[in-house]
Amino acid sequence: MYVFQCPNSIDGILSGVYDAWASRYGHKNIQLSSDESGELTLFSEYIPVTADFEKSQKVSRTLIRRLGVKFYETICATAMSDGSCRKLTMDKANAIYQTIVMALSLPDGAKVLEYLGEPCIACIFELRRQTYNEGHHLLEFLRFTELENGILFAQIHPKNAVLPILASHFTNRLPLENFMIYDAPHQTAAVHKASKDYMIVDASSINLSAIQSLSADEEHFRNLWRAFFETIAIPERQNLKLQIQNIPKRFWADTVELRDRL
Amino acid sequence: MHPLSTNANCSPATRLSPTILDKLTILTAAAKYDVACTSSGVDRKGDGAGIGNTMSCGICHSFAADGRCISLLKILYTNECIFNCAYCQNNRNADVPRATFTPEEICTLTIEFYRRNYIEGLFLSSGIIKSPDFTMDLIYQTLYRLRTVYRFQGYIHVKAIPGADPILIEKAGFLADRMSVNLELPTSDALRKLAPCKSRKTILEPMRQIQNGITQNKNELTLYRHTPQFVPAGQSTQMIIGATPENDFQIMSVAENLYQKFGLKRVFYSAFVNVNHNADLPALPGGPPLLREHRLYQADWLLRYYGFTVTELLSEDKPNFNIYLDPKCDWALRHLEFFPVEIHTADYQTLLRVPGIGAKSAGRIIKARRGCKLNFADLKKIGVVLKRALYFITCNGRMMYPTKLEEDYICRNLLSDRSQIPRELREEGYRQLSLFDDVNFGGDSNVCIPMPKQY
Repeated sequence: MYVFQCPNSIDGILSGVYDAWASRYGHKNIQLSSDESGELTLFSEYIPVTADFEKSQKVSRTLIRRLGVKFYETICATAMSDGSCRKLTMDKANAIYQTIVMALSLPDGAKVLEYLGEPCIACIFELRRQTYNEGHHLLEFLRFTELENGILFAQIHPKNAVLPILASHFTNRLPLENFMIYDAPHQTAAVHKASKDYMIVDASSINLSAIQSLSADEEHFRNLWRAFFETIAIPERQNLKLQIQNIPKRFWADTVELRDRL
Repeated sequence: MHPLSTNANCSPATRLSPTILDKLTILTAAAKYDVACTSSGVDRKGDGAGIGNTMSCGICHSFAADGRCISLLKILYTNECIFNCAYCQNNRNADVPRATFTPEEICTLTIEFYRRNYIEGLFLSSGIIKSPDFTMDLIYQTLYRLRTVYRFQGYIHVKAIPGADPILIEKAGFLADRMSVNLELPTSDALRKLAPCKSRKTILEPMRQIQNGITQNKNELTLYRHTPQFVPAGQSTQMIIGATPENDFQIMSVAENLYQKFGLKRVFYSAFVNVNHNADLPALPGGPPLLREHRLYQADWLLRYYGFTVTELLSEDKPNFNIYLDPKCDWALRHLEFFPVEIHTADYQTLLRVPGIGAKSAGRIIKARRGCKLNFADLKKIGVVLKRALYFITCNGRMMYPTKLEEDYICRNLLSDRSQIPRELREEGYRQLSLFDDVNFGGDSNVCIPMPKQY
C-alpha cells in the first residue's frame, strides 16, 4: 500500500490527488492521508506531498470540466471540514480521492454523490454537511462590532474552515460596508472593502489591539440588543435546554447577548 | 456609520429618542406573543447599492431563553389600542405602560441591528391607534422609508390591520416580503366572545385581498419580469390554542381550509398564556399547552409536506391527538395494513408515510438506491430514525429485528425508550397524569394511554 500524506488544505489534498493519480501505482494500492499525526502502519510506503497550486488547479479544472461545478463545490466543502467526525470510518483525503476515481470512471460521474451506500460517498456526504451546517450556524450567530474607524469586525471560532461561505454571504449582504471577519483557530481573515469583492488573507500576524477601540454608538446598540433579547422571551415558556440545542454553547462566547451567561 | 445615513454628520444613535431603551422594551414585550418570526420563503440578492438580501431557507440569529428563534426585530409600532380583545395584553382596558415609535426610530434600529448581524429584518405589527386606516398608514410610512431612504433589502414581515383600507394594505404589500392577518381564534363564536371589536369578516377580507394580490402579481410577473413583487414570501396567520374549547380536529380543519382556500404559506399555533388573568379565560395552572401546540405543528407539517389530510389523522370520534405518540406514528399504528414497506421498491409518497422517515431522507433513499443496495447502517447514515422506522420497514426483504406487526407490541416498544416520550410527560411522571387525566386534552377516553414499561 502506498500512502500519500498531504497537507490539510484544499490545495494540499488536490495536489495529493494529482500525485497519486500520476504515480500509476493502481488505484487499489493507493491511500491518501491528511492526518499528519496519524499512526503509521507496517508494510506501507509513505510518500509526502507538498501543496502545489498548479497541480491543484489542474485537478480543479478537470473536476469542473468533467463533473460540473456542483461536484467541485462538494469536494471543496469536504476539504474545508476538519475531518474529525465520530461516525467517520475514513480519512477525508482518502474519501475525496476514491470519490473522484469512482466519479471519473462512470459515464454520469456527478451522480455518484447520491450513492450514499458507498462508504467514501457516505463520508463525503457527512463532512460536506458538517461544513455547510457550521457555515450556516455562523451566518446566524456571527456578530459584527463597529470599530472607531467605522469598520465592522467579527471574530469567530469555527471547527471547519468556513470563511469563504461567510465572506461571500456578507459581501452580497453588506456591499457598502468595510468589514473583516477573523477566523481565530485557522488564523485567516476575510477582508471586504466597500463595493469591492472580498479577499481571504493570512492573519497569523494580525494585531488585535485595534479592535479594542469601539465606535461611540457601539455600546448603545449592544445594550438595546440585549434589552430586546431579554424581553422577547416568554417567561411561561422558558426552556433552556431547547435554547442550548438551537444555539450550542460553543457559539455563545462570540455573541453579544449570550456572552455574559457563560 | 452606515454609508446611507441621511445625514452623514450625525451618528445613528442621535436619531433615537433618549427613552429609546424603555420604548424598545415596552414594544418588544407587547409583541412577544406573536409567534411568526420566520424569515423564510424568498431568495433575493442585494443590488449592490443598499443593504441586505434574503435567503429562502431563513436565518435565525439567536434563540431566546424560551428556545424560540429570534430572526426578526419583532416590535409593535405602538401598543396604544382602541380594541378590547380579552386575550391581548395591549387591550384598551389593560393597565400597562404605553409607547409609540417614530418611523425614523424603527428604521435606525433595524439598520443598525442588521449591520451587526443581530437580525434578519423587521417584523412590524401594531396596536390600533385612532383607527385601522391611521395605523396602517403609519406602518406603510415606516416601510416606505426603510425601503427607499435606507435602501433596505432584507426581510420585512408586516401585519395587515383588520379593517384597514384595501389600498393601504396593497401599498404595504408591495414593500413587504410577508404579510399576515391573525385569525386569532379558530371559530367565529369564540372570536365574538373574546374579541368583540374584530369579526371573522374583517379578518378574512384582507386575507382574501392579499391572496388575490399574490395571484395577480404572479400572473404579471410571467409577463413583465421586472414588475414589483407583491408579498413574495406569501402570507401567514396565527391561532391561539387553548383559550377556547375547540378540539384539535376543528383547529386542524380550519388550518387545512386556510391552506387550500386562501393559499396560505404558514399557519402558526400559539399556546395560550393568560397574561391578563381574565376571569373569562382558562387559568391553565400547568402552564401553556405546549405539548398540544407541538402536536398541532407536527400535524401541520404532515398536511403541508407529507400529503396527509386532516380526516386521515383525526375524526369526529377521535377529535384530539394522542399525547404520547406523534401524529404520524399514531396514524401508522392505526393503519398497519400499509406496512411493512420495502425500502428498495416503495415510491416516494409511501416512504414519506413511514414514521422515522422525513422528506429529506425519503428523497435521499430514492436517489441512493439507484446506485447500490442499501442496508440498515446506510439508512441510519442517510438520516432515517431507525428507532421508530424499524417496525415499519424492510430492507432487502428483511426487517431489522424480528418484530411483530401489532399495534400494542409496537406501541409498547416505542414508548419503552424514554427519549421517545415527550419531555412534558416525562417530567410530570405518569402518576400525576392519571390523577388529573390531562386538562389540556379534554380528558376524553379516546386517547390511548399505553402502560409504561416497568424498569
